[in-house]
Formats: sequence, structure tokens, C-alpha cells
Amino acid sequence: MSDIRDDKLERLLESRQIEPAGPDLAERIVLRAQAIPQKPTMPLLPWLKNLFAELHLPRPAVVLASALILGFVAGYSAPLVVPADTGDGVSVQTFLYADEDIL
Amino acid sequence: MDDHELLALIQEGSRDAFATLARRHTERFYRLAYRYVQQKESAEDIVQEAFLKLWEDPVKWNPERNSKFTTWFYRIVVNLCLDWQKKKRPVELDETVPVADPREPPDEMLMRAQEQKILEEEIAALPERQRTALNLCFDEGLTNQEAAEVMGLKLKALQSLVMRAKTTLKERMKAYL
Repeated sequence: MSDIRDDKLERLLESRQIEPAGPDLAERIVLRAQAIPQKPTMPLLPWLKNLFAELHLPRPAVVLASALILGFVAGYSAPLVVPADTGDGVSVQTFLYADEDIL
Repeated sequence: MDDHELLALIQEGSRDAFATLARRHTERFYRLAYRYVQQKESAEDIVQEAFLKLWEDPVKWNPERNSKFTTWFYRIVVNLCLDWQKKKRPVELDETVPVADPREPPDEMLMRAQEQKILEEEIAALPERQRTALNLCFDEGLTNQEAAEVMGLKLKALQSLVMRAKTTLKERMKAYL
């Protein structure tokens, strides 16, 4: 009994009716597309792609990410050098006072 | 010229390549859209929208990420159909659609029409993924493996969805089976 119901359902599913599309549907789509301009592609992406292709880098995204990470690591690990106050430079405060005097 | 070559030309702005691709595939994507929306005009609009999106922004197609154009485009059409259904629910079946073979005797014709109508209503009431699995698997020209790829599933998972959909339909259509 169950097999008969299975078969019938299968037959029903296979014979689902579809109203045919208008014969000119494809032509209408083509015609509509003619009135629509294509979006300009972002020039940076193809340029980067070409660059990576020229350099024969197998996984551009991985290479780019690795370079960024390396850059950050190098940046953080380098000692921060603060220029010592030599005394002969004009400090902001002096400059402001001097400015006030003139006024 | 195969689909991938045409798509490369479309990405360079070739209208002729777009026309060839649209003429080649409109019918099959219309059939799928119709199975979802059960209305000729809406199915046509959905297919048109999908193709125009492709024309407008052809770089969305990435041959390195997608194995086959049709698999990728089925996904686009399915998504548009699901969006349409979310906006327009519930699906109203067109009463004027000839849903049975006119050569059949009137009683049989009426009964088959009724069966078809109930079947479509029950399919429309299935959970989204089961409905998609069923629509894709019973679409001619699409293997189960391709249907699974469209849905981003393993073959077994797709088969399980179809099985569940059929079980539900069998239960709900007891009177007609």
C-alpha cells in the first residue's frame, strides 16, 4: 500500500504542470539589458590581481594578510625612540608667551 | 562557446555574449522559478531580474569560486524566488492555468487538476529547505549532486531533505494517493 502511494506521489511530482513562458522572454531580457549600463568595476581589484599574477604569488589573499601581520609585528617590536629635549629648540610655551608679548 | 567563455566576454561588456547566454538558459531558470511562484508573470520577472543583475554586475561571477555557471545561477534564482515568496505570501494558485491534459475525460481531468492544485499548495507549505530540495531535484536537467551543490549541501543531506518532504506530502495528501 505504501509503495503504491510512493509511486503515485513520485508520478505527481514528476508531472507537475508548468505554464510555458512567453516565447519572447529571452528577447525581452536581452532588450532590457541593452538599456542598462554595466556597473564600473573597481579598478583596484583587477590591478592587484594582475600584480599578484605577475609576481606568481599562489595565494594573494594569504600573502597580503601575512605581509600586514609581519608589518604590525615589526612595528610593535621595534623600540619606541623619543627624541631627547636638547634645550636649544623653541618650546610651545615660549612661543605662546612671545606671541602674547608682541600682541 | 561555453558558458564560462561567454561570462568572460560579458565581464568585458559584450552584449552579444549576454544575449547568447540569456537565450541558452532562460527556459530552464523560468521552469524553476515557476515551480516556486506558480505564476507566469512573476516567474518571468524573477528570471529577468536574475539575468539583469548578472549583466549589471558581471564580476559577481567568479570562475575560481564557482564550478559551473548554472549551479551558481540556480542559487541566485532560488534566492530571488524565496525573497518573492516572503514578500507575497501566501501563494495564490492561478485558477485559469490548464493543469491537466485536455485529452483526458472531464472527470479524470478535474480530479487531476484538483490533485495538482493540492500538491502545489502542500509543496508551498513545506519548510523552505525541503521545498527547495524538492524543486531542484524534480527539475529536469539537474542531477541530485548538482542540486546539492546549489544548496551548498552534501548529497546525503539533500536526499534526507527530499525524503522528509515526501513523507510530509504523503501524509498530507493521504486522500489523493
